[in-house]
Amino acid sequence: MTGYPPPPDVIEGRVAWIFGDDFDIDLIIGVENIKYYDADKLRSVCMRAYDPGFADAVRPGDVLVGGRNFGYGHPHYPPMVAMRNLGIAAVIAESFSPGFWRGETYNGMPLITVPGVSTAVRRWDAISLDWRAARLRVPGRGTELTGTPPSDRAVQVIQAGGSLNLLLSEHRRAPSETAR
Amino acid sequence: MGRTITEKILARAAGRAEVTPGQNLPFAPDHMIAYDFPGYTDVMFRQMHDDFGIRELSDPERYVVFIDHMLTKGDTKERDIHQVTRDWCDFYGVTLHEARGIGHQVAAEYGYALPGRFLIHFDGHISGLGAFGALGWGVRRDLLEGWVTGRIHLDVPASVRFELTGAFPDGVDNRDLIHAIIARLGADGCSHQVMEFTGPGAASMSIGRRQGLCGMAMFTGAVSAIFNPDEAALAYARDHARTEFAPLSSDPDAEYSSTHAFDLSELAPQVVLPGSARADNTTDAASVGDTAITKAFIGSCASGRIEDIRAAADVLRGRKVASGVRLNVVPTSKEIHRQAEEEGLLDTLRDAGADIATSSCDFCFGYQKPLGAGENCISTGVLNISGRMGSTDANIYMGSAYTVAASAITGHITDPREVRR
Repeated sequence: MTGYPPPPDVIEGRVAWIFGDDFDIDLIIGVENIKYYDADKLRSVCMRAYDPGFADAVRPGDVLVGGRNFGYGHPHYPPMVAMRNLGIAAVIAESFSPGFWRGETYNGMPLITVPGVSTAVRRWDAISLDWRAARLRVPGRGTELTGTPPSDRAVQVIQAGGSLNLLLSEHRRAPSETAR
Repeated sequence: MGRTITEKILARAAGRAEVTPGQNLPFAPDHMIAYDFPGYTDVMFRQMHDDFGIRELSDPERYVVFIDHMLTKGDTKERDIHQVTRDWCDFYGVTLHEARGIGHQVAAEYGYALPGRFLIHFDGHISGLGAFGALGWGVRRDLLEGWVTGRIHLDVPASVRFELTGAFPDGVDNRDLIHAIIARLGADGCSHQVMEFTGPGAASMSIGRRQGLCGMAMFTGAVSAIFNPDEAALAYARDHARTEFAPLSSDPDAEYSSTHAFDLSELAPQVVLPGSARADNTTDAASVGDTAITKAFIGSCASGRIEDIRAAADVLRGRKVASGVRLNVVPTSKEIHRQAEEEGLLDTLRDAGADIATSSCDFCFGYQKPLGAGENCISTGVLNISGRMGSTDANIYMGSAYTVAASAITGHITDPREVRR
């Protein structure tokens, strides 16, 4: 089994970073590092171009905030592995690029579309995210935003800790059976 | 209410009378396609056999595998990667097409891309099959769901209609159109939707041009792109079909999330600056300024078709590639290579100083003759992110085959209309 532990019903954390529109996630670790999976290596390069203290400042449960079309480009998997390793629990964005959305949902990361989020929060704001309902609360600002809830299937995938885990729970079979 | 061709294809694949944008449903693709690539197919092969305990496929004809990457070094690593694929296909009775060219093209030549068909692949450039009135959808690792269960959950997409008029002027083609669309609508202008090309401008486009256009859909945020099959597409399909097919087309009163008009005759050559195909990275070729290049590349699943090779030969006929520039031309498939040879196009290109390489994906992703640090390349490849074609310190500009050929002559990025005057 691979994947990650499923998130709590309500994710409590802080806004670890706010990215702009059309953000290419490979820049999180730098394009020269997009083939590494080693945890120490990924930690050492994660967000180095933006905030060298990022890895030390982030706590489990923190989230990333994105603008429109988050994940645009040709997204590789290691940047989000680096973020997972640091404890990033979800990405909340104005919208997601389809390829990134599909690839990272497969891995079980909650990617929640909440229009208005990129201008409603500041870095390190405390937030709570009911990810199934796409309901974001920012208590320090008295703000509550509701986005587009993930589909029932996406909720199942996230709850299972990724698509592979969900498929294995649904379709693992005895060797004599035939796929269809 | 009328339905789009996309909704009709997906309704058929869902076994329903109709589907509506926003519904999440399981769909049974007609074909589930992959090319072998380490970290993708070898993992899926192992998961199916070891993790899911699958020993036999009830419908192996729905699975298709291509070997089109990593064909040009001939080393043991390459050989081992492909042998794993051959063994897996043998074991499950899955058809393997090896070294016939780029799979997204070969899928058409071998009759998988038929009007009305629904095809998935882990690679998003499968959208190029929309040229034939088929829906090709890149689903990344969710291909495993298709391969294990025979079905895949997807959100039914809305469609964006592109009403095309006019015809491409001299030196302008489908490549300029896709970047002009991104420049106008943004890199998320068709986010999570399907681009549907209609109108007399769409009808004027050859099949190869339609393939190149649809294959770049992802850079508008679209999940796919499609043409309603006309006589040209149906004729191609009849010539290549493996099985019978039933075409589908949009109803006149189908609903679209938006409609955009483009007059092809008003387009100018476009160039994408290094980084990505974002709107603010896209500019007229004429306004790039003096940018010297050392490499030029014509090929990939979004180019390298007979139209592109004819375009390059038109520009290069009787001229020479500039000193200090290497022009590499890769016909998209062996069939296209053969045709280009027969038409004398490859001789024209060779006479001009171009190198012709065997059909594969290898230039486009930096595997074959990678760019060195400090090099500037103008490319018809699909991506120009840093490091895509070699060194992360090389710069990749993108444009049409006309623009690449013209730039190869002058040694700097050039509006092809300047060379052709």
